[in-house]
Amino acid sequence: MVARVLEGLDVWKVYGKTVAVAGVTIGINKGETKVIIGPSGSGKSTLLRCLGLLERPTKGRILFEGTDVYASKLDLSKLRAKIGFVFQDPSLFRHLTALDNVKLGLRRVLGLSEDEARRKALEALRLVRMEEWADHYPAQLSGGQQQRVGIARAIAMDPDIIIFDEPTASLDIELKWEVIEVMRDLAKRGTTMLVATHELHFAREVADEIIFMDHGKIVEVAPPEEFFKRPKTERARRFMARLLGGVTGW
Amino acid sequence: MVGPFDFILNYSHVFIEGFIVSVEVTLVSVFIGLGLGILAAIGDLYGGRITRIIVNAYVEFFRGSPLIAQLFVFYFAIPSLLNFIIDPVLAGLIVLSLNSGAYQKGYIKGAMEAVFKDQVMAAMSIGLKTHQILLYVVIPQALRIVIPAWSNELASMAKSTAALLVIGIREFTSASKTVAAQTFKPLETYAFAALIYFIWIYTMLKILDIVYERVKIPGLEAVI
Repeated sequence: MVARVLEGLDVWKVYGKTVAVAGVTIGINKGETKVIIGPSGSGKSTLLRCLGLLERPTKGRILFEGTDVYASKLDLSKLRAKIGFVFQDPSLFRHLTALDNVKLGLRRVLGLSEDEARRKALEALRLVRMEEWADHYPAQLSGGQQQRVGIARAIAMDPDIIIFDEPTASLDIELKWEVIEVMRDLAKRGTTMLVATHELHFAREVADEIIFMDHGKIVEVAPPEEFFKRPKTERARRFMARLLGGVTGW
Repeated sequence: MVGPFDFILNYSHVFIEGFIVSVEVTLVSVFIGLGLGILAAIGDLYGGRITRIIVNAYVEFFRGSPLIAQLFVFYFAIPSLLNFIIDPVLAGLIVLSLNSGAYQKGYIKGAMEAVFKDQVMAAMSIGLKTHQILLYVVIPQALRIVIPAWSNELASMAKSTAALLVIGIREFTSASKTVAAQTFKPLETYAFAALIYFIWIYTMLKILDIVYERVKIPGLEAVI
């Protein structure tokens, strides 16, 4: 039997009169990589924040490993620690070095000893190839390096799933690759991942399933080969045509 | 040698005693005010409606009324209404601390808001609880950001201590007044007092600059 890690059932998120997410049902199994694509403003980020327990849905249920998060009296911060989250902006703690950014959760949430936290943090930094930069402050790192530290901060906690919210969207083209490579490594190691991205190469290579969202709804779900060759819906076709407009030879 | 300022040496103990009171009151008030300012800023940013109303009433009262009036309220009005006697130094410390806290709340709240929301969300995402987010992420950055604003606060508090003479505290201005009256040399005495205030405040600001350089973190100062 496949193990469901995270599941959203009929998730709605409404801000005032704006409906950001309109009844999305989605599930991620252990070891899977699912990629959400869709135009800006299609509700991807909001959906991911709801699934990451960073925002409470207006309606609908979030299940983490089978438990209804908001129906139970579970400690939300404990659950959040098991769901890694990588943001569009690296969002590093600016007063802490790369190493201390990764260590903070290990020390204060998982309660590891100083030595153990340091060892694990360095290991995570090594995985994202940022070990040499451990003693640098965020402002001394490039956007791509900061984002890799952000990924290290998430993986160091040994989460059951990592959610990526367009991690390369705010990076220059040449910096995107270093982040994408790290994500590709993670996917190949069998990390359970839910990724919102515009990087179609990456999506095609690592995704088990592509989820196309528009106007707060899931419009199409398909395996990557099928989705990229023959999108079923007109909206997905148009979105891809626009996205690929400037890209040749992929 | 007999110069126009020689009499100061004869009264040095009066000046020194007054000066020590001024310095002590300043440092204690700014320190307690920092604690109050942090609490008030947290209350205003994270508290419920009632908390925010209380915080803002406190801040507006102390920022919106003259310090001397506040001293009268806490030294004369409240004790006589409630029928107790308060030590003037205690009353002075209470008023200056509350006063400083009201101003520092403004600086600290601004600095806490400068610790971007995205960092708070990132802190949530690794499982930190609200009080841990404040303690490990928001406050360490806010305090560094707020140091330049403290220059104002320290200088203004040091000068405010002069108002304490209205409730009979023997601080530095009050000591100078005594010397001026006894020596009949008000011009020399107050000139000397002004010079001491200037040196004192200038020194504190220089020390604060050094502290700022010491705790500065690359990139964090740009937030201001």
